[in-house]
Amino acid sequence: MKQIELRVNGERVVREVADSRLLLDFLRNDLGLTGSKEGCSIGVCGACTVLLDGQAISSCLALAVFADKHDVTTIEGLAEDGRLHPLQQAFIDFGGFQCGICTSGQIMSAKALLDSNAHPSEGEIKAWMMGNLCRCTGYYKIIESIQAAAEGRVGA
Amino acid sequence: MVTASSVGRAVGHVEGPGKVSGRAQYTADLTLPGILAGKCLRSPFAHARIRSIDTTRARALPGVRAVLTSVDLPDRNIGRRVLDIPMLARDRVRFIGEKVAAVAAESADIAEEAILLIDVDYEELPAVFDAVEAMKDGAPILHDNAAAYAGMPQPLPDFPNAVSQVFYRKGDIKTGFAEADRIFEHTFYAPSVHQGYLEPHACVVQIEAGGRINAWLSNKTPFTARAQLAAALDVPEQRIVVHLMPLGGDFGGKGSLMDTVVCYYLAERSGAPVKMVMTYTEELMAGNPRHTTVVTMRTGVTNDGRMTARQAKFISNSGAYAAFVPSPLATLHGATHTAGAYRVPHVEVEALRVYTNTVPTGHMRAPGAPQAVFAEEVHMDMVANELGLDPVELRLRNSLVEGDESSLGEHWQSIMSKETLRAAARDARWGEAKPPNVGRGIALYERTPGTGESTETLTIDADARITLLTAVPDTGTGSHTILQQIVAEELQVPISSVAVQAGDTDIAAYDSGAGGSRVTHAAGRATQATAVELRKALIELAARIFGTGPESVSLQGGRFVAAADQLTLAELMLRARELEEAPITRQGSYVSPRGHSEVTSFAAQIAEVEVDRETGQVTIRRVVSAHDVGRIINPLTHQGQIEGGIVQAIGQTLTEQLIVADGSVTNPNLGDYKLPTMADIPALSTLLLETRHGPAPYEGKAIGELSNVALPAAIANAVYDAVGVRLTALPITAEKVYMALQAREGTGA
Repeated sequence: MKQIELRVNGERVVREVADSRLLLDFLRNDLGLTGSKEGCSIGVCGACTVLLDGQAISSCLALAVFADKHDVTTIEGLAEDGRLHPLQQAFIDFGGFQCGICTSGQIMSAKALLDSNAHPSEGEIKAWMMGNLCRCTGYYKIIESIQAAAEGRVGA
Repeated sequence: MVTASSVGRAVGHVEGPGKVSGRAQYTADLTLPGILAGKCLRSPFAHARIRSIDTTRARALPGVRAVLTSVDLPDRNIGRRVLDIPMLARDRVRFIGEKVAAVAAESADIAEEAILLIDVDYEELPAVFDAVEAMKDGAPILHDNAAAYAGMPQPLPDFPNAVSQVFYRKGDIKTGFAEADRIFEHTFYAPSVHQGYLEPHACVVQIEAGGRINAWLSNKTPFTARAQLAAALDVPEQRIVVHLMPLGGDFGGKGSLMDTVVCYYLAERSGAPVKMVMTYTEELMAGNPRHTTVVTMRTGVTNDGRMTARQAKFISNSGAYAAFVPSPLATLHGATHTAGAYRVPHVEVEALRVYTNTVPTGHMRAPGAPQAVFAEEVHMDMVANELGLDPVELRLRNSLVEGDESSLGEHWQSIMSKETLRAAARDARWGEAKPPNVGRGIALYERTPGTGESTETLTIDADARITLLTAVPDTGTGSHTILQQIVAEELQVPISSVAVQAGDTDIAAYDSGAGGSRVTHAAGRATQATAVELRKALIELAARIFGTGPESVSLQGGRFVAAADQLTLAELMLRARELEEAPITRQGSYVSPRGHSEVTSFAAQIAEVEVDRETGQVTIRRVVSAHDVGRIINPLTHQGQIEGGIVQAIGQTLTEQLIVADGSVTNPNLGDYKLPTMADIPALSTLLLETRHGPAPYEGKAIGELSNVALPAAIANAVYDAVGVRLTALPITAEKVYMALQAREGTGA
């Protein structure tokens, strides 16, 4: 067991965790933040994507102790004052989700993309987002959602 | 006459906020006080006798609360129709991945450790993996007395390892072949593929002190699940509550109980609620993927390309059990699509299903049809090629037109076959020049709308809040939004003022669940009927308040209007409160006609591909997907069904297959089982040819299983058009194309 201290969605968290505790399990089971999902368990599907100091990572491959002294942002931390983040609104308006199981990961990856590249080309979106699988949408409307958020065409 | 204010709008209201914010709770997200984690030990052998199981060491592990083997469970099998799968293997295992023992422990880590401490003594038996081999005399037999299984159609066909043999006939096949100038025969292969939903099966079972059983399931048919669970546990259905959970993808795969029965007995034995979540590896080695098929097509044609006869033999590999297919005939109904979406006078389709020592197979998006149409539509191209006819021209010559009888004897209104083919061909620049190594291929498919039964409950309270209570689970298709739109349309209120509550099986009325392209039709019609009833009740109330008859009151622009009076809905409900008549609740039901459908829908899909001759790599440059559709209730979700189906079809054509060696799935993770990514999608052109006469509200038709079926054949045909190699086995990997190119060059062709 090790004590870790980190910020999760802006709030300070201090917890005892087993050395082997995965960050995903820590978020879901210890903190009750179940928006991050477990799909493949091997870092391929992207459903567990969270931001660690702003970088998109697969939380199913990271240990909780790895997040010690770092900032973690999950899907639950995206809305501000009850208002959805433009990416979240865009995924609703443009059909970027269906079953929703990959959606948290898609949005977190897209946030990391737009934070580093405010106006990505379609090719840049595809290259960046290929680590987030979606079986429902065929991806077309996810691309459209990200483009709409980048261009401020949201909440009309 | 409806005003079309809500219907026809691209909205994603109900499901959206919960899903984009991470608030939507899926089954695996649930927790309860004292909940335990359940895990299963699975067989490492494809076929073996279990001599003994020793659970002593597992039971001794701290934190373990229950360990079960078959001796702890009732001697009952489970299944969707044929009850042939044991809750836990009894004396024998029949596939690698079969559940042998189960553990409930205080954490998933402890449960996983415990299952490794269970010692099983196996005696290996001869095994058979290929369906054609399994049918031969002398093949190892999986089930000693399959005819005795409840739900197994009788009599059992007379070949080894038989599950079912069903014939579909029209006309006289001998006459048809006698009328042919030429007869062509080809055989096709399609491997098992997984539905690929990213949410593995999950269940939570809690038994209350009084014996009530709560089940939270990743299941798309809650009432059917309740009935199956009641039968498995031998308890009355009313003792069970199945809670509706959003599904993290279904595509036909989430219609069975999977681990639920074992989860119940773990909860019973441990005295605590238990959650079981499959890993993705378990999904790929022991879920219920699509059937591997071998399909032989035989077609008689005249020299000018008119079909006189068609015969098909569709052999599907059921895997070790038949339990995951709900058909009363224990068959894959999609086999009928080998008959084709064409005018053929004499037809015989033979559909066979065979046990082997491989993963039991189930339903996946248009079950059986993708395999059937891949065979049928590549075969069509091969016939066109032999006759020296253009593939579109051959299809047009055999197209159904108004008044025709389909290949299996159906009569439909508003047949749009030729229009759909021509629209696709025009958009794809069919017949126009192409760069080198680029080819175009086409395929046609037809599917009738789904059928089902539904009762919906609609309430308006004193504050004019409208709530639809439904047992339709949210599988991701946007069905709750569609139902919301229908209510809004009929009551002339804004969409956002209608709430949709997914009710459990105690509070919501019966619904046959999601699947088979039925929800917008059956639940949609029930919702519409319910809303009409509520509107009638509101009009009657307004009439009483106005002191007139209901025939003098109408709903206009959201207001209840009589000669000199009018009330908004909010005002009306305030009066209802004063009169102690609020809330007002109405129920409406719908049972769709079974059997014959008045209409069908055509889908003509064209792929344009480029083949790299150096590597065999196939790149899909563009897809044209032409559909004859009904009135579209929600363009956003309708298009989502088309796009998602197309990309699934691309995966299943180019990269996806469960690679099975000696019964073992050798790619049991999403790193090796290749689902398409965002980088793999082609340019897409969707063409919607609107007709009416659909059975869904406002003359809508189904779309969910129309986008994923024809495309594999279109891609295969495009590869042939590009580089002249004909691939008859899916998937069309770079290796296969490369080898085929090499083989052709080797023969100097």
